[in-house]
Amino acid sequence: MKISYYPGCTLKYKAKNLETAALASLDALGIEVEEMDRWNCCGAVFSLANDDLIHMVGPVRNLLRAKEQGAEAIVTLCSMCYNTLARANLLMKNDPVKRDTINRFMDDEIDYFGEVEVYHFLNLIKNEIGWEAVQEKVKTPLTDLKVASYYGCTLQRPEEVGIEPIGKFSLMNELFSTLGAEIVTFDGADKCCGSYQVMCEEIGDNNAAAKVLSAASTNGAEALVTSCPLCEFNLGKQQDALLDKGRITETLPTLYFTQLLAISLGIASEELGLELNDAQVAQLLESKKLLVAA
Amino acid sequence: MCETNTTKPDFKVATGDRAILPEGAKTIPIYVMGKKYEVPETLTIMKAMEYAGFQFLRGAGCRGGICGACPTVYRMAGDYKLHFGLACQTVVEPEMYLAQIPFFPANRASYDIKDMSAAADAIHALYPEVFRCVACNLCTKACPMDVKVMDYIAAIKQGQIEKAARISFDCIQCGLCSSRCMGEIPQYHIAQLARRVFARYIQPQAEHLRKRAEDIEAGKYDQMLDDLSSMDKDALEKCYVEGREREPDMAEPGSWQPQETKYL
Amino acid sequence: MGYTPELKELIKRVEATRPERVAMARRNEHYPALSMAERKEVLSKFHPDYQEDAKKTVRVGPNKGDVFQETVANLLESRSVIRPEKVDLQRIDQETDVLVIGGGGAGTSAAIMAADAGCKVIIANKLRHGDSNTIMAEGGIQAATQECDSPYYHYLDTIGGGHFSNQRDLVAALAKDAPLSIAWLESLGMMFNKYEDGRTVVRHCGGSSRKRLQSAGDMTGAEIMRVIRDEARNRQDMITVMEFSPAVELLLDSEGKCSGAILFNMETREYSIIKAKAVVMATGGFGRLHVKGFATTNHYGATMDGVVMAYRAGVGNQSLHSTQYHPTGVSYPEQNVGLLITEKVRGLGAHVLNIDGEQFCFPLEPRDVESAELIQEAMAKGKGIITPTGRVGLWLDSPMIEELHGPGTVRKELPAKFIQFERHGIDISKEPMLVYPTLHYQNGGINVDGNTFTQLPGLFGAGEVIGGVHGENRLMGNSLQDIITFGRRAGKSAGEYINGGVEIKDLSLDHVVKFEKELAEAGIAEPMIAPILLPDYSTDEVAANRWPEAVSA
Repeated sequence: MKISYYPGCTLKYKAKNLETAALASLDALGIEVEEMDRWNCCGAVFSLANDDLIHMVGPVRNLLRAKEQGAEAIVTLCSMCYNTLARANLLMKNDPVKRDTINRFMDDEIDYFGEVEVYHFLNLIKNEIGWEAVQEKVKTPLTDLKVASYYGCTLQRPEEVGIEPIGKFSLMNELFSTLGAEIVTFDGADKCCGSYQVMCEEIGDNNAAAKVLSAASTNGAEALVTSCPLCEFNLGKQQDALLDKGRITETLPTLYFTQLLAISLGIASEELGLELNDAQVAQLLESKKLLVAA
Repeated sequence: MCETNTTKPDFKVATGDRAILPEGAKTIPIYVMGKKYEVPETLTIMKAMEYAGFQFLRGAGCRGGICGACPTVYRMAGDYKLHFGLACQTVVEPEMYLAQIPFFPANRASYDIKDMSAAADAIHALYPEVFRCVACNLCTKACPMDVKVMDYIAAIKQGQIEKAARISFDCIQCGLCSSRCMGEIPQYHIAQLARRVFARYIQPQAEHLRKRAEDIEAGKYDQMLDDLSSMDKDALEKCYVEGREREPDMAEPGSWQPQETKYL
Repeated sequence: MGYTPELKELIKRVEATRPERVAMARRNEHYPALSMAERKEVLSKFHPDYQEDAKKTVRVGPNKGDVFQETVANLLESRSVIRPEKVDLQRIDQETDVLVIGGGGAGTSAAIMAADAGCKVIIANKLRHGDSNTIMAEGGIQAATQECDSPYYHYLDTIGGGHFSNQRDLVAALAKDAPLSIAWLESLGMMFNKYEDGRTVVRHCGGSSRKRLQSAGDMTGAEIMRVIRDEARNRQDMITVMEFSPAVELLLDSEGKCSGAILFNMETREYSIIKAKAVVMATGGFGRLHVKGFATTNHYGATMDGVVMAYRAGVGNQSLHSTQYHPTGVSYPEQNVGLLITEKVRGLGAHVLNIDGEQFCFPLEPRDVESAELIQEAMAKGKGIITPTGRVGLWLDSPMIEELHGPGTVRKELPAKFIQFERHGIDISKEPMLVYPTLHYQNGGINVDGNTFTQLPGLFGAGEVIGGVHGENRLMGNSLQDIITFGRRAGKSAGEYINGGVEIKDLSLDHVVKFEKELAEAGIAEPMIAPILLPDYSTDEVAANRWPEAVSA
C-alpha cells in the first residue's frame, strides 16, 4: 500500500523532534511512507470564515493531493491534524451536498469523494504491523519505566473519527506494554491540556495542565506521553512555572509517543531530538539506561 | 515621438510600439471597465487599449512581462470565472471585460537584513498574518506568473525558508495575490524577505568572491589597470589580440588556469 | 493562438525551400558573406547609425557641431516646459542632501550608498520605483570573480569589445568594482545561481576571454532590482521615494553648482522645487524614442530625460550617436514584439529568409551588418512578411536546427525561447519565427569621470545615461555591472562631496534662460518641449479625432 505522509506545520518546525523520531521508527519498522510534495495547513487554525465549509478547504486540499499522488491512505502524527483531516474526509465521504459545494469551490483541483483513508500513526502501526511484529523489533525494552498515556481531546472526539471509543486508552497502552513499559492509568488521560488558552493566559496559570500532571504523578507515573505538539507544550514545557505558582508539587518528564517508540527500537539518542524537550526527560531516560549512542 | 521610417515601403506598417489595423484585418469588441471598444485581434491588452486611445500613466512598465506594473483582471462574457494576466502579455479576446489593477495596498514590514537569521521565527514575528492563511488557494489562481503562492506561504509557516525562496523566485511583485487574499496577507513582501534571508543566511556565501574582493580592496590590481589605461591604442590592441587566452567552455568551475598568470 | 491561417500559408514557402537549404548546410555551403565594400554600402544605406539622411548636426550646446540621429538631435535642441522667469524659486517644497533622479538599478544603488554615508536622499521616479531597463535584463552580470580571471582581463575584453573607443578610467572602474558589486549584492541577500559550496555559476558571453557572467535564473536584472529596492524600502528614515514624479529641469545655484531639480507630479500635474546639495542623474536610456520607427527592448519610460536636462546645464555627451540594435527582435506574436532572440539561434544554423522562403544574407554577419541587411530586404525590396498587427518581419528558420542537430535540439538549447513562444501557441522547433531588428541600448551618454563626477559641480551620473563605459559597442552583462558599479560610486561620491561641506546659495534657472537664448540665436524657431516623459502610442485616427486644430487646449 502506498502511504503519503502528511507532517503538519508544527512538526516541520517547533516539534521537529516528534517527526524525526516517528520517521526513524517507521523506517525501523519497515513501513514506507513518502512526504507529500505539496501540502498545506491541516485546517486546525482556520478561523476566518463564518461559513464552516471554508474550514474544510484546507484539509480537503491535502486529501486530494494524496489522491493525486496515487495514495490510498494518508498518515499523520499530530492528533489535531489527524482530527481535522479525518473529519473533513468523513464529510467528503458522507455528505453529498457539502461535498459538491466544496468540489465546486475548488474547481482548480481534481474532485474528491473521500477515497483516501486517514490514519493516525498509532492506528497505522497497529493495523499495518500489529503488536507482535512490533515486539519482535524491540531492542531496548522500556523495562522499569512507568508510563502514563495521555490522549487529550482530539484523538477520540468526535466519536466518528476517534481512534478508539472515549474512555478506552488501549492503543497507546498496548503499544507501551509491547515496548516493555509498565502502564500507569490515571483520571485525566482524556482531559483537556489547556489547549489554546496558552495564547491568552500567563504561563503558570494553566490549571488544566496542572490537574493532568498531578493526577498522573499521584498514580506513580514516571513519564507522561503525548501525541500532540500543543499538548506536549502545555504539559511538558510549563512545569517550572506551574511549580512556582504552587499548581503542581512535583515535575513529570513529558515526551512524545514517537520518541518512546524510537528508543525501544534502538534508535540512537541523537535522532530523538531530546534537546527540544525539557531537560528532565533526558535525565530520566539516562537514569533508566534507555539511551543508546549512535 | 515615434518617427516613421525614412526608407518607407509603399504599404502601411506598424512602427515602434504603435499598433495599426492592417488592411483586411479583423477587429473584435472588448470592454474596458465596462465600455466597449473595437480593437484589432492578436494585440495585447496593453496595445489594444493604446490603439483605442488610452495613454497609460499607471499600468505600464517594462512591457515585457517582468516588472509587474500591468496586472489585469478580466471575465469573458457569460462565464463566472475570473481571469488574471499581465496587460502586456495577454492577448485580447472577443467579449473580454477587463479592468487594470496597477496598485494594490499591502502591509510591508521594515527590517534590517543584518539582524535576521536562518530561523523562521523573525519572519513569523514580522508577518504574524501569515498564519491567517486558510489555504483557499485564490492567491495561486491569481498569479500571472504561475507561482504557487499558497505553497510558498505554507512553506514559510512550516519554517522552510529555502523552499519558499525557490517556489517564489519568479514573483514579479504585481500584488494580485494580495488582492485576492482572505487572510489579508502581503504574500509577495513575505516572499521577498524569505528570498533575502535564504540568500544571505542559508545559501553558502562565495569564498572565491570574498578573496577577490579582499585583493581588490588591498589594491592588488590598481597598477595593472593604470598601466592598461596609459597604453597607446596600438599597444592596447596588441594586448587584446595576443594576450587573452580563452577559458574553454567546458572547463570545470574554478579549475582551469591560463598559461599567463601574472595578471591574475 | 499561434500563427494565423494566412501566415501558415506563407510558412509553406519556407518549408518548400528547406530541404535544399538543409542539404546545402550539410555540405557546409553558406550564403556568401558580404565583402568589406558591400558591408560598408549596406550599412551606409540601411543601418540607422550609418544612414546619413536621417541625421542631423546639433546647433547648440556642448555637442554643437556633432551629428546624431534626428530624434536625438531634436531632443538636444529642445526647450524646457518651464518658463524660468515665472517660477518662484524662493518657494522650496522639499530640501534634501541627495536628489537621485531615476530609481532603477543605478539610482537605487546610489541612494543606498549615499544613505550609508549619512545623507538624506530623495529618489524621484517617473514611474514606479524600480521601473527600468535594469529589471528587464535577463542574461547576467559580468565580474571577474574566478581564480583564472581578473579585473585586468575584464578591462581588456570590455575595451576591445568597444573598439577601443571607451573612456579608460570608466573601464578601469568597472573592472575593479565588478567583484565588489557582486559581493555587495550577495551580502544584501541576492539569490545568485550557485554551486553547493557557494561558488557563483559563471558563463561566457560574446567577447569574454574568461567565464564571467553571473546570473540569477533568467531574470538577473529583476532579482537585482527586487533586492536593492527592498533594501531601500528598509531605510525609510534616510530614503524617501517619490513615484510618478519625474524631474523636468535641473536647478543650479548662483555659484553654478547643481542644487536640485523641478519635479512634476504626473497625476496631479503639480510642479515642485526640490533643493539638494547633490544630484545623481540615473535616468537610463532612450529606447522609447523608437529611432527610425524601430521596436525596442526598453521599458516604457526610456525617453532620454537625463541627457536632455544635463545638456541644458552644460554637460556634454560622448558616443551618443551609437545605438545598439539587435538584428533579431521578435515581430510576432504581438506580446513579444521587440524582445530579443539570441544570436545562438543563427549560431545553431537557422537561416534568415524572406517572404518567398529565400535566403538573402549570411546569417552570422556582425550585428550591425545583419540588421542592415534585414532592413534592406523588408523595406527596400518589399520582401518582408506583414503580421496581422501590421508589423514587418522576416523568417528565422528555427526548425532547421532540428534537422541539422537532431530532434529535441531546439528545446534543449533554447529552453526560455521555446517556452516563450509555446505560451502563445507557436512551436519553434516546427515553425519558424518572425524577426526584425530592435533597438536595445543607448551606448553613449553624458560625460563623467571614473568617480561619476560630471563637469557640473554637484551633479553625478550613473547607468545607461552616462557615456564612455562601453564605447561604441557594449558587451553582454556589462550593463548590469555598469549600473551597480557606477550607481554605488555615484552615491559614495555624492556623500563625500556633501560631507566636504556644501552650501547652496540662491537657486537659479539662468542656465535654461541662457540655453533658450542659444536656441533662438541658432534660429531654432519651434523647438520640441522636453523631457517628453512618456511615448504616445495613439493611432493617427485617434490623434485626428482629438481635433488638434479645432480644439484649443
